[in-house]
Amino acid sequence: MWRIGYVPEDLREQELVSVGGVTRRGALKALGAGVGGFALWPYLSDEGARAFARIQQSQAPPTLRFLTPAQYKDLDALAEAIIPADRHSPGARAARVADYIDLLLSESDEETQATWTDGLSEVDRLSRERFQASFALLNAAQTTELLTEMSKHERDPQSGLEKFFKTTKEATVRGYYTSEIGIHKELGYKGNQHLPEFVGCKTVDGEPCPHCGQKP
Amino acid sequence: MEETRKLASSIHPGSGAWDVIIVGSGAAGGMAAFQLATAGVKVLLLEAGRMIDGQKEYRTMEWPYASLRRGRLPEGERPIAVAEYNMYDRPYGNHPEFAPYKKLMSYAGSTFTRNWVVNEKEHPTTGTPFAWVRARILGGKTNFWGRGALRYGPLEFKAASHDGYDVDWPISYEDVKPYYDRVDELLGCSGTKEGLMQVPDGIFQRPSKLNCVEVHFKRAIAKLDRHYIPGRAGVTTDGVLSKYRARCMGRGRCGRGCDLNASFHSPTALIYPARDSGHLTVRPQSIVSEVLFDEATNKAAGVRVIDGVSRDVMDFKARVVILGAGALESTRILLNSRSRRYPNGLGNSSGVLGCYLSEHLMGIGGSGYIPIRKGTAPTLDDGRPVAPYVPRFRNLTDRHPRFIRGYHFQGGGGCAEYPAMAHEIEGFGSAFKEQVREWYPAPISLGGFGEVLPRKENRVLLDPEVKDAWGIPVLRFDYRFGDNEMKMVEDMAEQIEEMLTVAGAENIQVRREPLPPGWSIHEIGTARMGEDPKTSVTDKFCRLHDVSNVYLADAAPFVSGGTQNTTWSILAMCWRTMDFLKEEMKRGDI
Ligand SMILES: Cc1cc2nc3c(=O)[nH]c(=O)nc-3n(C[C@H](O)[C@H](O)[C@H](O)COP(=O)(O)OP(=O)(O)OC[C@H]3O[C@@H](n4cnc5c(N)ncnc54)[C@H](O)[C@@H]3O)c2cc1C
Ligand code: SF4
Repeated sequence: MWRIGYVPEDLREQELVSVGGVTRRGALKALGAGVGGFALWPYLSDEGARAFARIQQSQAPPTLRFLTPAQYKDLDALAEAIIPADRHSPGARAARVADYIDLLLSESDEETQATWTDGLSEVDRLSRERFQASFALLNAAQTTELLTEMSKHERDPQSGLEKFFKTTKEATVRGYYTSEIGIHKELGYKGNQHLPEFVGCKTVDGEPCPHCGQKP
Repeated sequence: MEETRKLASSIHPGSGAWDVIIVGSGAAGGMAAFQLATAGVKVLLLEAGRMIDGQKEYRTMEWPYASLRRGRLPEGERPIAVAEYNMYDRPYGNHPEFAPYKKLMSYAGSTFTRNWVVNEKEHPTTGTPFAWVRARILGGKTNFWGRGALRYGPLEFKAASHDGYDVDWPISYEDVKPYYDRVDELLGCSGTKEGLMQVPDGIFQRPSKLNCVEVHFKRAIAKLDRHYIPGRAGVTTDGVLSKYRARCMGRGRCGRGCDLNASFHSPTALIYPARDSGHLTVRPQSIVSEVLFDEATNKAAGVRVIDGVSRDVMDFKARVVILGAGALESTRILLNSRSRRYPNGLGNSSGVLGCYLSEHLMGIGGSGYIPIRKGTAPTLDDGRPVAPYVPRFRNLTDRHPRFIRGYHFQGGGGCAEYPAMAHEIEGFGSAFKEQVREWYPAPISLGGFGEVLPRKENRVLLDPEVKDAWGIPVLRFDYRFGDNEMKMVEDMAEQIEEMLTVAGAENIQVRREPLPPGWSIHEIGTARMGEDPKTSVTDKFCRLHDVSNVYLADAAPFVSGGTQNTTWSILAMCWRTMDFLKEEMKRGDI
């Protein structure tokens, strides 16, 4: 995390985006390891964006653009396992994260698409091998078992599956925390509204601050 | 667009009589137009871009989920990113890797600004990497600037006297102070009086307060004798006398353009009021290619314009020409104004036109989490126009052994709309969600701005071959950071790490590499002012030494740029220049 006002909305995102389009390998070399080498990410057209806005509002079943229904189900389950519904708030499924990824993939280059289809088929293979069922049909304990393995070296993923976990997680985080559910229900973000006055730390006004406990 | 077309087609040479032509409508052109038109001078303002309707185009309050793009541009459009400025050969426009893209923008191209920032394919540059952000639209870059409104102080105007490097400005802080004060009063500036000589106080409206993590950081670095003060914003928090501008309502989305116009944007703050005087004519889509020169009188006769849509070439005449196209664009126009008398560009008998390009070092920064906010309920932490600021603390009275001049940090913390830290938290499931929530109110991050020393060899020239979409030669950069900058970079990284450590921050991350040149969007110089016409381009009133009726209204005449963001100084300096010009006109000297 490194953000200041001058760097457009999210510098990190910009770096990833650029890497998505232009001589990715060369770009990655120049960027150095660690700058999202596997978060391969496309753009979305106006039309795609409008379509998603509709999906979000209507709660309609997905209109898949790129993924097969089976791939979609696995991805949906994967995203939901990464950010699940819990007592606190709905999860990635309700935030339609898999639809978001499907739409983005429908507009990405072949190399990016292949990263995802390869990753999903490896997840499927592992799931069938171990539990004789597709990932989407696993129970909670089985899902956790696989994800625990896949996320073992999250800082420095080695295997294809480990890398795919990281790619999926980056996308899920991005999709979830920019959704209405993520911003409002999960995080309770309070900004972007008209305020007569910005109230910061109460100590600035000479009172003990109930938020941080600091004294004036 | 309607208004743009109407204006552009109705205004042509002969359709009016103008005393003064102003090129560009950003901070510089806007202030020049306001000062002259409200004093009754007949002004023609030529703007390369189109008119803007802020009410429609500033998407201030839009949520990311309104579109799935979430900050990404549509297919076929993309910004050039960090590494690409170093990786690819210029001109980008001709580079085969970028061929698939309809539109290619500088790094400031986002979903909010993409219709304002120029297409690099139409506006290429050559030479060394330079992340040059240009906005061709009424108001220029002031439509989405960062609002950091800082004054230069005695340390900037008399930098050479302080450390012996290069030369002083030919003027002092006392010369400009009254104009900074007037700019504060006219446009509104929010801040706190601190009595710091490295960044003089202004006439401030209500400040942006500090939030909890920031108060903690402030108290911690006070132990190091450093200040952390509310950011100074070019935003009216108490209101100004203007029918076009409301006061700030703390939405914190000003970088997309503030639809209340509480933030300073040149169109609503300067150009519309100037137009209301009845003395200002604005002609959009008017690309100025050169200043016309009259050999007989040794004066400028007007400017040549290429219409951005029809491509008609027109010569507009006036008694005075004011360039405010942005430091580098104004210099480009002068370099391209070649005559027998000035074969290397108008006003370039010294040969230093294009030299001494400077800006700020950016990229060094640090972040971490302030423990007192971990696990507490979220608060509204970003509903204000700017984050706080650590003023320069190097080479004020002491002398750093490794480098001269200094740097400052800007940045703050607390709850933001997007929890960027979520990308750093490992794991999955409810535990992951919970940890994101726990850290959500606690982050703090700051980024530095350091002075790049003005050096003669850091310069721009006209490229002998490559031309822009209108056939005008493009700029070739020859600009590099030097030894002083690299030493400063090391110290910036060490100091931000130390400050975060003293603040007890957890998970401290420090970014030690500078961003590519140009990233600061604070370009200054290339037509520096001075007493001696042999070593400078303009006199101390920003008027060409060589040609007495051409003025520069932007940052091109600036001698050195300190650590402070540039715009407030552009506005103050331009006001000062216009006062001088009005006197000259009154005396009949022009
Ligand atoms: C994202 C961002 C953040 C920023 N943050 C800050 C900040 O916090 N503080 C700060 O002080 N500054 C900041 N800046 C910089 C600030 O915007 C500039 O300093 C300021 O706008 C410069 O004013 P100007 O009039 O010189 O140039 P501009 O605002 O660039 O205006 C130049 C105008 O001239 C026109 N023009 C160019 N060439 C021609 C031509 N040939 N013919 C006719 N017209 C022409 C352009 O179309 C444009 O409208 C920021 C900029 C950006 C983009
Ligand atoms: S914080 Fe103030 S200046 Fe910024 S967008 Fe909101 S009202 Fe405008």
